[in-house]
Amino acid sequence: MAEGDRDEVAQATVVSKKSSRISMVWIIPILAAVIAVGIAVERILTEGPTITILLKVADGIEAGKTDVKYKDVKIGQVTKVELAKDSDGVEVTAKMSKRVANLLVEDAKFWVVEPRVTLSGVSGLGTLLSGNYLGFAVGKSTKPQRTFTALEVPPIITGGQPGREFTLKAHDLGSLGIGSPIYYRRLQAGQVIAYDLAGDGDVVDVTIFVNAPYDRFVNPNTRFWNASGVDVSAGASGLSVRTEGLVALLAGGIAFDTPSFAPKAAPAAARTVFILNSDRATAMKQPDPIAAYYVLYFTESLRGLSVGAPVTLLGLPAGAVTSVGLDFNPSTKSIRGRAEVVFYPERLVARLQQSQAALGRTLLQNLPERHALTQYLVEQRGLRAQLRSGSLLTGQLYLALDFFPDAPKAKVDWSLDKPAFPVVASTLPDLEAKITNILAKLDELPLQAIGSDLSKALITLDQTLQSTDKLVVGLDGKTMPELSSTFTDLRAAIASANGVLQDTDATLVGKDAPAQQELRDALQEITRAARSLRVLADYLERNPNSLVFGKSQEKP
Amino acid sequence: MTTATALRAGLVSCEACGLLSRAATATELGHCPRCGSELAWRRHESIQRTWALVIAAAICYIPANVLPVLTTTALGSTDSDTIMGGVVFLYTSGSWPLALAVLVASVMIPLGKLMALTYLLITVQRGVPGNGRDRTRLYRLVEVIGRWSMLDVFVDTFTVALVQLQPLMFVKPGPGVVFFAAVVVLTMLAAMSFDPRLIWDAGSTREGNHG
Repeated sequence: MAEGDRDEVAQATVVSKKSSRISMVWIIPILAAVIAVGIAVERILTEGPTITILLKVADGIEAGKTDVKYKDVKIGQVTKVELAKDSDGVEVTAKMSKRVANLLVEDAKFWVVEPRVTLSGVSGLGTLLSGNYLGFAVGKSTKPQRTFTALEVPPIITGGQPGREFTLKAHDLGSLGIGSPIYYRRLQAGQVIAYDLAGDGDVVDVTIFVNAPYDRFVNPNTRFWNASGVDVSAGASGLSVRTEGLVALLAGGIAFDTPSFAPKAAPAAARTVFILNSDRATAMKQPDPIAAYYVLYFTESLRGLSVGAPVTLLGLPAGAVTSVGLDFNPSTKSIRGRAEVVFYPERLVARLQQSQAALGRTLLQNLPERHALTQYLVEQRGLRAQLRSGSLLTGQLYLALDFFPDAPKAKVDWSLDKPAFPVVASTLPDLEAKITNILAKLDELPLQAIGSDLSKALITLDQTLQSTDKLVVGLDGKTMPELSSTFTDLRAAIASANGVLQDTDATLVGKDAPAQQELRDALQEITRAARSLRVLADYLERNPNSLVFGKSQEKP
Repeated sequence: MTTATALRAGLVSCEACGLLSRAATATELGHCPRCGSELAWRRHESIQRTWALVIAAAICYIPANVLPVLTTTALGSTDSDTIMGGVVFLYTSGSWPLALAVLVASVMIPLGKLMALTYLLITVQRGVPGNGRDRTRLYRLVEVIGRWSMLDVFVDTFTVALVQLQPLMFVKPGPGVVFFAAVVVLTMLAAMSFDPRLIWDAGSTREGNHG
């Protein structure tokens, strides 16, 4: 480098300076670190629990897309969908929000929400656009759980809905399904929420949920019945059709009611077990706590007598046949028909007059007295059972209790478990015997003798007729002239009557008859009235507004 | 090295106006006689500043890749995408060139810049001599490509501004994009604060002043 160049280089000036060893620039990484750590801490603090849900099929469930929602609010998201280890289902892992961490308890429920169309309604339409999501229902337990098995069908009732759950024991499920309506006086009061075969497989347990205002109408005396389909009954008052509504008709349903005769009771506790009856009539039937069992022995045919056939007293229902069979007596080697019946005295007492009802009720409570009364009726009044034909067409028989004062004496042995009730032979074989009798007697009639007698009588009749003929001829000669003169007089009388009638005619309908004149005047009046009416009609047609505004002032 | 440098000749160039002047004393360089700005042998606190910015960028790089950069709400369902999520999505949906472009521009370049700057800083601090030419080339590359990493941020802002079909579909920026932008800006600043002359100082007799 040349010296001259160096001279041209300017000399730096000195200014006192403070030097700091640590640069202020370090604030930047510290700030970045603080922010990053802050975000990380916030993430960790808001981190909710991770749960596993076992599904049968991952129907529309996608990792990172499918949400878990509760009351339509997102509470989590599916992070992983994979086959279960035993490949019998799908394991869905979901990250839940911290807020719901304490709701994830043992009996919390998860299910896939997807569009569903059933007979009783359409649900989940929103998922058509947004895709399926997982529904959630809180449980009551406090024991936390992290692995859940999803329900296959969404629960109808999610936690918190006011109402009560009941269990119905049904013989079979019928057309019921989850969501089938429950009716109370034809108002929808709840739904079937579950059904299951009971442990021994004998009955179906149907779990129902009755919504809040209606659940207090369910008391221990309430009856439930299957309201599916139509109930058609024919009575003396005509045909009556009963159904709980169109949905019940299509999708099945359950109805409940408390019979009027049942005593008032407090609402039933939740999960009370009831019987599901097959129809309304069965459900609402009055119970027969007092039953008397009898056995009846018949020597006649029991064809047409079936279990359940009615037992009547003076034609009123009093019981039913419970068993039909045979009775073999080894000592006499005889076989006879045996019918067991149950007799409900309460039903007869219910038909007593108000004033006698109390008497009847005391009788019901007192067994010896009841036995004594029966004994008296049988022994003194001749109360007997008899087979009768219920229908000539079907040949069905029923048992009638009636009074046969002439019946042979009989007793009731109360010592037996099922006392034998005395019977009388049916009138049906009687009738047959009588007809046979009549035919036999008819056979014995002396038809030959009757025939010869008849021919004799005919000859006598012929003679009588001949003598009558002679009498008539005699009459002709004497009576005829007299009759002729009577006719002449009659003709004269008719002629004078004719004259009178002609006079009357002239007064009423002659040309200038007064009545005629007045009639003509009246007709002219009517003609005039009709003419003015026509004028009015014409005017109205031209000026219809005059109906409202009146007749306009005519201009001169 | 026998090459004459301004440092060895006791000359210093003003960072602001470029005027060459002689140092006032050996320890106190003094101020530029023309514009009055403080003189330094090398860029002021170059290594310390660069380190700080590189570390800050490295910290921001983690949330930039972990947090979502874009939140798409379409028909009621919300999707959050991170940068790598977008790359994977593009790749699986068949457009691998686009996936590669995003991967290079948004993931590899910022990471490469951070690594390159760290390498330069360490070698300079340790006073490693040799391959100074290569390191200078690396530094130039870092400085030139730095601004192109903002591609992701631009795409993000355009998408957010354009896709606003309110109830049906809308896009919101995620927190990741802020960190991503911070990474890009911080690495650019770091590259600017690094003094490439320090690379050559290692072989020279006099220690560069990096304090």
